[in-house]
Amino acid sequence: MTSLVTANSVSKHFGAVRAVDNVSFAIEKGKIMGLIGPNGAGKTTLLKAVLGLTDCDGELSVLGLDPFRQRKELMQNICFIADVAVLPRWIRVTQLLDFMEAIHPNFSRQRAEELLSRTKVRSDAKVRELSKGMVTQLHLSIITAIDARLLVLDEPTLGLDIIFRKEFYGNLLNDYFDGERTIIITTHQVEEIENLLTDIMFINDGRIILDATMESVPDKYAELMTSGEDAETARRLGPIFERDVFGKKVMTFEAIDRDKLEGLGEIHTPSVADLFVAKVKGAAA
Amino acid sequence: MITNQLALIRREVWENRSIYVVPVLVALIMALVTIAGLVTASSFDNEVRMAILGASNIVGDVERQAAMTLLFAGASPVFLLALAILTVFYSLDSLYAERKDKSILFWRSLPITDAETVISKLLTATALLPLLTIAAIVVTHVIILIALSIWIVVKGGSAGHLVWGSVAFIDNWFAATIVTFASALWMSPFIGWFLFVSAWTKRSPLLMAFLPLILIPLIEAIIFRSAVFAEAVFGRGGVMPLFRGGMDMDDFFDEERMQVNEEVISLLAHLDIAQFLASPSLWAGIIVCGLFTTAAIYVRRYRDES
Repeated sequence: MTSLVTANSVSKHFGAVRAVDNVSFAIEKGKIMGLIGPNGAGKTTLLKAVLGLTDCDGELSVLGLDPFRQRKELMQNICFIADVAVLPRWIRVTQLLDFMEAIHPNFSRQRAEELLSRTKVRSDAKVRELSKGMVTQLHLSIITAIDARLLVLDEPTLGLDIIFRKEFYGNLLNDYFDGERTIIITTHQVEEIENLLTDIMFINDGRIILDATMESVPDKYAELMTSGEDAETARRLGPIFERDVFGKKVMTFEAIDRDKLEGLGEIHTPSVADLFVAKVKGAAA
Repeated sequence: MITNQLALIRREVWENRSIYVVPVLVALIMALVTIAGLVTASSFDNEVRMAILGASNIVGDVERQAAMTLLFAGASPVFLLALAILTVFYSLDSLYAERKDKSILFWRSLPITDAETVISKLLTATALLPLLTIAAIVVTHVIILIALSIWIVVKGGSAGHLVWGSVAFIDNWFAATIVTFASALWMSPFIGWFLFVSAWTKRSPLLMAFLPLILIPLIEAIIFRSAVFAEAVFGRGGVMPLFRGGMDMDDFFDEERMQVNEEVISLLAHLDIAQFLASPSLWAGIIVCGLFTTAAIYVRRYRDES
């Protein structure tokens, strides 16, 4: 078994609201999975269930453990950074390292100090004295120094400027990811992580509307930029979504032979963001 | 488990510096008040000389010891009062601050159970705070005695005879230790309640903790014309069953024989540990504390924070 996370009919209700609605999926070892969905789609709730921070219905297994009931064991092998899980403002960097060293069996202080020495974060500083970008650097350094099998990132770069964001993902790939570890990541800035992902999962209204490897996207999806009569012809081929760009029509096709689109206009593979819009709006239309 | 507890309790000290700042501050104030008192007394030169002469020659060992014990017993309640106030604010903040500053999800991303976290806060309130208070009492006692000795020597008396030979160190310090820890146990239902409120309330824990303590007796008095709740809650503010027949100053001085009662110069002689441990109220309180603590753990575990 190489599945790190297995979900079988997982649901989470808040009263009448179905935040996560009968979701099933599996995440394999060594993947970088992008979990993409609009606000309120159920991303965070699903991640919380995976992290054992909230109870849910259905079968959910993470690293072979029941996350809610075995959270302590689970957290020895999982790390997460979320924009809502901030470091306490009163703590000093050295205190944080002392604490992690004392309570986390898989934490390497040496590694954390090595990573921090590359940043501007001073070891005697308090978190409240650091900028938001530096706090994220500190958090990532600490997380990277944990020999964990699964890293969950929920909007990790929210509110950071573009330089910090680029650096964050660069460090993530260089320092953390080694092909053995697995990452689940959600963000609104999909364009920035598109090239990192090995897998994508779209979630909308608590349901999974796409679960695919990045490699399979060009085979399965095509985007056609066209106009005039060609557009009419293309439309008959049944695009899942159509939008206007500079007076031209851009159509997204699912499970179509690209040869059929040949000659009708420019053919591309849709970006993750465009594919997401097509899937969500297409389903709504 | 123990390593985790030690790390968690150390974390509490980092976050709440008042845990050690308050006892140090009280110790400092007590020492300054003593020194100021001695300096003021120095202006009554003749009286001071007479008093030292009297204390050295006329008064017996028992009276000298009694005076030193009284001095100690008089200074210690200030620390207990500070401890009570510190405990209230610490417990009420302990599970509220992490939700307010949103660091709770970070703490919960670590391999520590909610039970371990809440228990570390309970242990801080019921063991660490009293321990630091005892340390502060002992240190202050020594500082006061040193200041007094210097003053006596300057005034021509013998500090060894009047001060150091007359203090029942073991008795005084042991009694202070017992009273402090017993107070923490005796008040533990309140600590449990504060922890629960701290974990549960969305705003103003202080108000949420004390409002029911005022409203429930009021409602009970109006509807049932009884005071069961009020007696159970405020009754604890009275004398602990630790004290033998209460603390009556009349016992201290036997007027008929015009002398200090030898038995009462020992503070330990006033304490009845067996009676305290056999008191159903103590155990009822500890059970209430356990129930509220469990409730606090469940609230932290099951409530969705976003």
